[in-house]
Amino acid sequence: MGELGVGRPTKRRAGSAVGGLPVADPRPVFDGAAVLGTRCAACGYPSAQQGPPWCPVCYGELAAERFAVTGAVWSSTVVAIPVGTRKPPFGLAYLDLDDGPRVLVRLAEAEVLAPGTRLAITGTDDGDLVAGKVAGKVAS
Amino acid sequence: MLWGVGTSSFGRFPEHRVESLAWSAIREAVRDAGVSPGDIDAIVVGSVFGPPGVATRVQRGVGLPGIPMWMVENACASGTSAYHEAVEAVRRGRFGCVLVLGIDQMSTLFSGAIVPEATDPEGASSLPLPGLYALQAQRYVAEYGVTPEQLAAVAVKNKGNGADNPRAQLRSSVPTVREVLESRMIAEPLTFLQCCPTSDGAGAAIVGGDRGNPRDLRIEASAMVSGALWDHRSQDVWGFASVERAARQAFAQAGRAPEEIDVLEVHDAFTIGEVITLEALGLAPRGKGAELAPSGHTARDGAQPVNPSGGLLSRGHPLGATGMAQLAEITWQLRGEAGARQVARHRVGLVETMGGGAAGMDGNACVVTILSTE
Repeated sequence: MGELGVGRPTKRRAGSAVGGLPVADPRPVFDGAAVLGTRCAACGYPSAQQGPPWCPVCYGELAAERFAVTGAVWSSTVVAIPVGTRKPPFGLAYLDLDDGPRVLVRLAEAEVLAPGTRLAITGTDDGDLVAGKVAGKVAS
Repeated sequence: MLWGVGTSSFGRFPEHRVESLAWSAIREAVRDAGVSPGDIDAIVVGSVFGPPGVATRVQRGVGLPGIPMWMVENACASGTSAYHEAVEAVRRGRFGCVLVLGIDQMSTLFSGAIVPEATDPEGASSLPLPGLYALQAQRYVAEYGVTPEQLAAVAVKNKGNGADNPRAQLRSSVPTVREVLESRMIAEPLTFLQCCPTSDGAGAAIVGGDRGNPRDLRIEASAMVSGALWDHRSQDVWGFASVERAARQAFAQAGRAPEEIDVLEVHDAFTIGEVITLEALGLAPRGKGAELAPSGHTARDGAQPVNPSGGLLSRGHPLGATGMAQLAEITWQLRGEAGARQVARHRVGLVETMGGGAAGMDGNACVVTILSTE
């Protein structure tokens, strides 16, 4: 029975990086200068979701928006187990972009940061947003 | 009314067919309820990973052809979401006797932690579920000064309870706070012994109307809420608001206050989960939930025992089955049938199951139900 399930697709879509079939990338988009998303023309709600039909808060019309790459940490952690092809340790944080949405970023350095720590998104790695501390060493 | 409950054992059983896990739970629930299988007039099944068609394959063995049957997937709250639909259907007179089943077999899908879903923005960014809970925990460490020892106390308490649960997956040894903290790091600050195992199992219940049977439990409340946006406007940690919404509805339905609950089974997939859930249920103010385990308030012999079964941390967490396993424990506790795990006061019990993982939402769903012997 040890071989049961080995090497066959499962209900979980793990993605092509770990042997599954490829899926459309659902992550926020960084174009090198800004995080792309939408802002509601009526209530101003910012979102990094791609292509929602209307504002999920007030049902208003959405317009394309470019969000600042800087923001403040809401919370962060260092993951100590491998996840897919990602080798530990790696740091993750929820980053509240200035006047923008909360996005999950990978930390340039794997360390727990105090809430409020200022970060800037500096690039992507394998599609993940990567952010580093604004004051001090910033990954390029 | 809740007529009867049953569960399989919980553990990793890749050698068992998935429907055999279900059948053992269903057999026990039907006998416990004192009904004939033919009395059942609908089936609701909660499962996350299926496999697809599992409900029909279960149905094939129990001899209930053609009756209404449907499947619910609400992440870790799938089992109790199925239960909630059964309760509502009976309350509104649609059915007289409903079989609820929660089931998942994860050992044939994952060798360790759940692989994140690549179609989800945060799953694609390699955020594992313990990482999501670790982000809650770090916020609580920074905002309220919650300590690693307070978190570890939840694991010590629940694993101590689980040692007396013959159906629990992890019952061989009860760690100390120090051993919990010295187990290997998974996602800071959560260590290995603060994370539930991946499991196989099934839980079943029979829900029906008031038939005047003194063993039946009154379902004073059942509330199910779906998720809401969790974003830059949210001041509470992920998950808190969804539990709070369901709790408010349930306490209003039952006409009860949190301090009236004698015994609880709540969603402790990770230690911080129990802390935040108890705050959202109103057992402690924000930031004070971490004191409940160390103070003994939630111990089996405390004022309000929480997770006397051992919780997800010890019993295991076969996602769709978990809510039904919680419901079974509360049923046994309220009837005074919990053996070595029996709590002293057992008039009113509460089950809370929270399912989540979809990025940007405060949960996929949360169910809170309140039962009593009255």
